[in-house]
Amino acid sequence: MGQSVTFSIDGQTMIAEPGETILAVATRHGIVIPTLCHNQKVSKTTSCFVCVVKHAESGRWLPSCAALPQAGQHYDSSTDEVRNMRRAALDLLLSEHTGDCEAPCTIACPAHAKVEEYVREGRKGDFLEGLRIIKQRIPLPLSIGRVCPRFCEKDCRRNLWDLPVAINDFKRLAADLHYDTYMEECAPLIDRKVAIVGGGPAGLAAAYYLRREGGLSSHIFEMMPRLGGMLRYGIPEYRLPKAILDRELAHFDRMGGITSTCNVRLGKDISLDELKSKYDAVVVAIGCWKASPMRCEGEELAQDGIRWLRQIALDDATGDNPGRTIVIGGGNTAMDCVRTAVRLGSGNVACFYRRTEKEMPAEAIEIREAKEEGVRFEFLTAPSRLRRENGKLILTCIRMTLGEPDASGRRRPVPQEGSDFDVEADTVIAAIGQATDAPEGLKTNRWGDVDATKEELRMDERVFAAGDCVSGAATVVEAVAAGRKAALAILDQLAGRPHLEPPTINVSRGHWRSMSKDDVVLLKEVSSAPRLTLPHIPLEARRTTFGEVTGTASAESVIAEGARCFECSCTAKNTCTLKSHSEASGAKPGAVGGMKVIDPVDIRHPSIVHDRNKCIKCGICIKICDEVIGKSLLGYKKRGFVTVVGPAFGAVLPDSCGECMACVDECPVGALDRRFKN
Amino acid sequence: MTMNIQSIRVGVSSCGLAAGAADVMTKLSEKCSAPVMGVGCIGHCYAEPLVEVVTDEGSVMFGNVSAADKDIDAVLSLAEDRRFHMGRPRTGKLTRLIGRFEPTDIDAYEQHGGFTGLQKALAMDRHAVVEQVKASGLRGRGGGGFPTGVKWGLLAAQTAPSKVLICNADEGDPGAFMDRSLMESLPYQVLEGMFIAAHATGARRVFIYCRAEYPVAIRNLKVAIARIRERGFNVINGDELEVVIKEGAGAFVCGEETALIHSLEGKRGMPRFRPPFPTESGYFGEPSMISNVETFANIPLILQEGAQAFAAVGTPGGRGTKLFALAGDVPRPGLIEVPMGITLAEIIYDIGGAPKGSVKAVQTGGPSGGCIPASMFDTPVDYDSLISLGAIMGSGGLIVIGQNRCMVETARYFLDFTHRESCGKCTFCRVGSKRMFEALERITRGLGSETDVTFLEDMATKVINGSLCGLGRTAPNPVLATLRFFRDEFTAHVVHRQCPALECAALVDVSINKVTCTECGLCIKNCAVDAISADYIVDNRICTRCNSCIEACPVDAVSRIPGGTGFHSAKEVG
Repeated sequence: MGQSVTFSIDGQTMIAEPGETILAVATRHGIVIPTLCHNQKVSKTTSCFVCVVKHAESGRWLPSCAALPQAGQHYDSSTDEVRNMRRAALDLLLSEHTGDCEAPCTIACPAHAKVEEYVREGRKGDFLEGLRIIKQRIPLPLSIGRVCPRFCEKDCRRNLWDLPVAINDFKRLAADLHYDTYMEECAPLIDRKVAIVGGGPAGLAAAYYLRREGGLSSHIFEMMPRLGGMLRYGIPEYRLPKAILDRELAHFDRMGGITSTCNVRLGKDISLDELKSKYDAVVVAIGCWKASPMRCEGEELAQDGIRWLRQIALDDATGDNPGRTIVIGGGNTAMDCVRTAVRLGSGNVACFYRRTEKEMPAEAIEIREAKEEGVRFEFLTAPSRLRRENGKLILTCIRMTLGEPDASGRRRPVPQEGSDFDVEADTVIAAIGQATDAPEGLKTNRWGDVDATKEELRMDERVFAAGDCVSGAATVVEAVAAGRKAALAILDQLAGRPHLEPPTINVSRGHWRSMSKDDVVLLKEVSSAPRLTLPHIPLEARRTTFGEVTGTASAESVIAEGARCFECSCTAKNTCTLKSHSEASGAKPGAVGGMKVIDPVDIRHPSIVHDRNKCIKCGICIKICDEVIGKSLLGYKKRGFVTVVGPAFGAVLPDSCGECMACVDECPVGALDRRFKN
Repeated sequence: MTMNIQSIRVGVSSCGLAAGAADVMTKLSEKCSAPVMGVGCIGHCYAEPLVEVVTDEGSVMFGNVSAADKDIDAVLSLAEDRRFHMGRPRTGKLTRLIGRFEPTDIDAYEQHGGFTGLQKALAMDRHAVVEQVKASGLRGRGGGGFPTGVKWGLLAAQTAPSKVLICNADEGDPGAFMDRSLMESLPYQVLEGMFIAAHATGARRVFIYCRAEYPVAIRNLKVAIARIRERGFNVINGDELEVVIKEGAGAFVCGEETALIHSLEGKRGMPRFRPPFPTESGYFGEPSMISNVETFANIPLILQEGAQAFAAVGTPGGRGTKLFALAGDVPRPGLIEVPMGITLAEIIYDIGGAPKGSVKAVQTGGPSGGCIPASMFDTPVDYDSLISLGAIMGSGGLIVIGQNRCMVETARYFLDFTHRESCGKCTFCRVGSKRMFEALERITRGLGSETDVTFLEDMATKVINGSLCGLGRTAPNPVLATLRFFRDEFTAHVVHRQCPALECAALVDVSINKVTCTECGLCIKNCAVDAISADYIVDNRICTRCNSCIEACPVDAVSRIPGGTGFHSAKEVG
């Protein structure tokens, strides 16, 4: 049949063998045309229209997977118009596609650690593999395993039933078990060196990923006597023992190529210009070390919370009994202050906060444990004046009521006139916020934080910034995410390639707060056991010593906890071509709005899950079953937008399909998939 | 003056039967000794049941005849005041035999010249027949307008041992009934055309793919096939043709040829990529030719009178006559046969009887077509002129849109049909037309924005370009055409939150004019939701805009006015 045909794609002349489609010839010549419904095992489906090319002579659009080139004709495959058309097809498919590409926990994690995966390894008891997954995104697992506010757990779908999976305890256990012997594969060291100003989480993370991903060495300049930043000088010993932190830091020594000088301060002992001249790049990660003012008369008589905590840390968790102590503020630093005051021997510690407990930014667990330790809370109370009389501090406070919500969404406290009252104290500590203490000459934004671009965390050509000093006081996990981002931007710059955020899309069934239990897809039996509880040291020890309050959960209990995980992410997230083509083309969920058909997920088959909500109606499964297997068990049903694919009359696929899996293997989006994940 | 009644003809096509023709026939047979026969539909569907009394002095028509004694007596007494005047002469050649005899009466068909075309054809070399059809200039009547003779030539050139002929009688356009009428009223003419085609192309397997909703057509065709077999007319050059009627389940997409073939094969009706075209690889891979009922019905005429005579009617772009199903806001809707090239004005004002000024636009080609505004009604009706206006000839649906219709709602209405009828295969058709429909829903509900209008324009082109078959490739036409000619109505909806035609419920209120109101109470009585108070005030938060009060008011005191802010029930509908 036929003769070979000479034609062109994007101006490149090609010869098609008889019967060869445009797609086949293009592929042979290295021109990538995305397609979802094309499958060489079956006859042409021509349903997705992602593979379209434009016939230049007629202006007609052709599905290249089916169209044969015509002699002497020209076809466009890479013009903006063609890309736009392909993206539109993907946008439309995404608009009818529902599922969870990634589990909500992974999306919630600021560092996007692959939570579901390391929890699964934990459930299997393979904590070493778990640690390997964790360390892809979390370079400080010993510390973060103890101090993380657990963004992941807040979005865990298990919240709809009882309490979230105790995710962070997988990390803590995995790190506790294997950290000292574990070593990741690092890129070979190359002769490039980066200066990092600040040895806190952001700076350490930057050093880690520069070393790990690019083989770059770095030198950390730290203003304090030792590395660790807020981990060492902010977070108290009872939450993160310094011995643990030292174990964490020892890993950096073992990696090689990461060195440090302590007791040097940017702007005083070293200058940015000097660093720029000596190093290939600079990362500014100087943190937020300046206390925000209380803006009340006599505030200079109050201790500054961060400085107070830092001094105690410098003194190896010792300090004078602060006596009657009042801490002003409702954040985690305030909680660190009150609980430290208790441990220094004060039997009378109070926290004054101008809103109510509901609005407190501190973690609920911190508030609860502070209360257990005897801390008193005075809500709707704000300081208006501090003075010293007869060696005693007199704090004048005013009662507040909550008014309209402010920009942060929290209700604004409004002073109640005439409600002033005095309280006597020996120590008053202000812990109402922190700001960046940027040395002169460092470019800052209007909030006083270091000014860096959002995409690359770049300040100027070779200076990058990361962590609290850019974002304002935040969490350790956010700081390490930023450190990694800056490191990757530097690696791209030094390699001379453009720094492109790897485009990722995520389709989600929704946040658990907007879902009902019926909306949650469970592919397997899930443990109904209550959440694991961590061992605590006795309350008396908590009141009198700086011993670590919680212990690490046992491997047994963590393995059992793993069975509580719903494993929300898509079974096909690593192979889904709808996802990969969308990411490559810029198509996004939500680009086109509209209704979605939500069908119950069919898990009647023992080993196959049929999730019609993911189906893009490409028809490959139907043709595989018909043309390759010869069973013809699947077909299209209904018409229009509500068209679905499935066995006739809503029947369940026969058990024997479990041995075939041909449709499952060819489904581009995981609508038909194996029910169980490895 | 007395006239002798020789026979009585009652229109018993679906339209007549639906209007009660069966009872009328029974009653007439009881009361009259002259033969009473059921005949086909002459097209004046608005006046069914129609009775034609043939006397020795000519025939007299009666319309809207019921089985009541007074109607029957009026017919039998040839009452002057009950006579029906058609208002237009019957001129068409294609349908000239309709109403003359019982549709399945093979002798009567023969007496009226039936099967002479077939005989002529059989006496000719088959390639000469193809040439004659080519010379006639006949183009496919199903909507595509592909030259019929060329298609015949393609199939005739195929050397496969077995070739297939398929008559597309799926007629899925809402409001279109040309093919149904032909099959019900002229089954022999349709079959004769198919046999001529079988001879000319060498096809020996013949299918009629007819929607199951056409029981009268299927019955008449089956009777006709049986009688033809008795006479041996189905033997073509020594080969006996098997004619199989396949009843379709009523999917719009099965009017598309590749989907139709899939359905014939027992598969789900879904189109496939062409080429290969069916003339190369069709029914189970055999070369197949698909033509529409009306196309086949024209063939005997070409053979009988010759290609030149056939081509004498019409325009260079379209030869012969065309059947249209005239519907919508006209006083005389029904089936009409007109020469190609007639203007829309002639059809709508002269034949349809619409008063000038009462019509805003006409939708041609059904849900796949487009609207043409009244200002362009001097456009001649043929394939190419309609396409140049963004409409299509289609299979022959003509829906007249009155001044009181909202064009956005009209577009929404058509897209509602097509997006549901998508087979679900192509992304742009399945999802894109759904998203377009949703945008139109928002606009007609007063929730639309200019972004929706931009989206409609952009997506319409993409759906057209990104769909395999005619369904998706034409579904956006009504939207593009209304955007082209009535963009101001879209703007009124999305910018001013007003429906100029006062049709969109979410953008109007109902108001009672206290000056003209006579307080008769009919509106209150007719309101299903008690939205009108005792002092004749409409609570527009309760009112569903059903129009019952407006229709009930004897003095036209109730009317729609711009508004709708209180109309919540429709806005909440998903």
